[in-house]
Amino acid sequence: MIRILSVAANTFRETVRERVLYNLVFFALLMTLSGLLLGQLSIRQDEKIIKDLGLAAMDLFGTLIAVFIGVGLVSKEIERRSLYPLLAKPLTRGEFFIGKFAGLVFTLFVNLGLMTAGLYVTLVATGRRPDPLLLAAVYPIFLGLLLVVAFAMLFSTVSSSSALASVFTVGTVVAGRFTDVIRNMREVAPGVPPWLVDGLYAILPNFRNFDFKDRVAYGDPVGAGVLAWVTVYAAVYVTVVVALGLAAFRSRDFQ
Amino acid sequence: MTRRLALLLLVLAPAIPWSQAQLDRHAGRYRAQEEVLYLWSGQQVKRLFPGFEGVGADLYWLRTVQYFGGERLFARAKRFELLRPLIDITTTLDPRLEIAYRYGAVFLSEGPPVGAGRPLEGIEVLAEGARRLPHSWRLRQDLGFFHYLFLSDAARAAAILDEAAALPGAPFWLRTLAADLLARGGNRADARQMWKQMFDQAEEGILKENARLRLRILDSQDRADYLTALVAQLGRRVGRRPDRLDELRTAGLWRGPLKDSEGVRFGYDASSGRVSISRESPLWRPE
Repeated sequence: MIRILSVAANTFRETVRERVLYNLVFFALLMTLSGLLLGQLSIRQDEKIIKDLGLAAMDLFGTLIAVFIGVGLVSKEIERRSLYPLLAKPLTRGEFFIGKFAGLVFTLFVNLGLMTAGLYVTLVATGRRPDPLLLAAVYPIFLGLLLVVAFAMLFSTVSSSSALASVFTVGTVVAGRFTDVIRNMREVAPGVPPWLVDGLYAILPNFRNFDFKDRVAYGDPVGAGVLAWVTVYAAVYVTVVVALGLAAFRSRDFQ
Repeated sequence: MTRRLALLLLVLAPAIPWSQAQLDRHAGRYRAQEEVLYLWSGQQVKRLFPGFEGVGADLYWLRTVQYFGGERLFARAKRFELLRPLIDITTTLDPRLEIAYRYGAVFLSEGPPVGAGRPLEGIEVLAEGARRLPHSWRLRQDLGFFHYLFLSDAARAAAILDEAAALPGAPFWLRTLAADLLARGGNRADARQMWKQMFDQAEEGILKENARLRLRILDSQDRADYLTALVAQLGRRVGRRPDRLDELRTAGLWRGPLKDSEGVRFGYDASSGRVSISRESPLWRPE
């Protein structure tokens, strides 16, 4: 456990040094603050626009951070050959892999916290109430990002290049956001066998499950039961993907 | 090399604001943008924003407001061609954005030069909003108002207002207004009450300003009607219609100004004896 935490702490230190992270966080905060200006132009929609932009920035830029840093976590160690001395130490591949995952998750947690603070500051600066309900949308976004990181690490382990791993991860995230289209596919293409539709719908990660932005922007409450099931879904799916990644990492020949 | 680069920057940097100033001088400081809509279907646009429909709707709503303002103030033709598709895309992306239905309907229904002059489309937008948000009494109220104010359909308006009155949170006077419309078939007092309600409910902005203008039109129409009655009265007294409106003053029948609420002198048709809002007035509307 201590070894996993050490790897996680090192990963956190390593990722916060990444320039791309600062760029993305900067743009996310800029997008949130732009709500101040855009709200003025919208006719009575300023609060909704600030919330929409802030939550969308967290979702979008959080995903970009998860993808671009996530795919580099393992592949960079392999490319730089810094993995070999690490694995020669009393550190199993499993501890290394899970430590890397935990480190990036913590980085995302800190970044999401920063973006949430930015959103609340923007709301307060415009004389709005710092609505605690927003956290009911931020939490599922964080769970969705865990899944993105898990996929990024899986693909970076099984594919030969970071670029390819990025393409696979982005493809999975986009497909996961279109699950409603897959579910209703037979309405536009009746020839598609139902087992294929049902199979795809069941297997693909449903990123729609983590989307409560619209409900929260309108002030609708999000039930604790729903959030609990979203947590269960994320926990199960993340565990499966991390386990797949771990299996691939363990069986990979680094010679 | 560095010195040359610095010199180049020194020369070129002021050229940027200078060229912008030249552009503004030739094209006009304020000019309508050539608006283009690449995607006309709300469903198509929705597919481009998976998980980001809310913020997409915000952006399209901003574009709708900017497009309407740009066309209204700066465009020569004022065709508002993109207004309906922009409203449709916005409300498809976020079907709960009530304001897009309400303001969109006003933008579409008001006659030129204020709006697009397409009240049927405005009513379609409100009807779609009422279908998607069945608990919104405001959307139904507006739908009823628009049926009366723009289509003069008092019976349909009364039925819709009655439906609105039955929704939770609806004010009591909606039912009274519906009954009045049904009983009288609608008159200017009903129209005044509707615009007054829209004025009271709206926050400062386009909607309130439009309702204020409509109330001023009704005030001026009342005054014009009163002056028409005085013209008839004078005609009966002297045996002929007055040639000029000022004769009402000479005869001691009217001491106030012969102007509408915007300070523009009323028009007068001596052959029919009818006083009306002048075509020169910003309050004039085609009948």
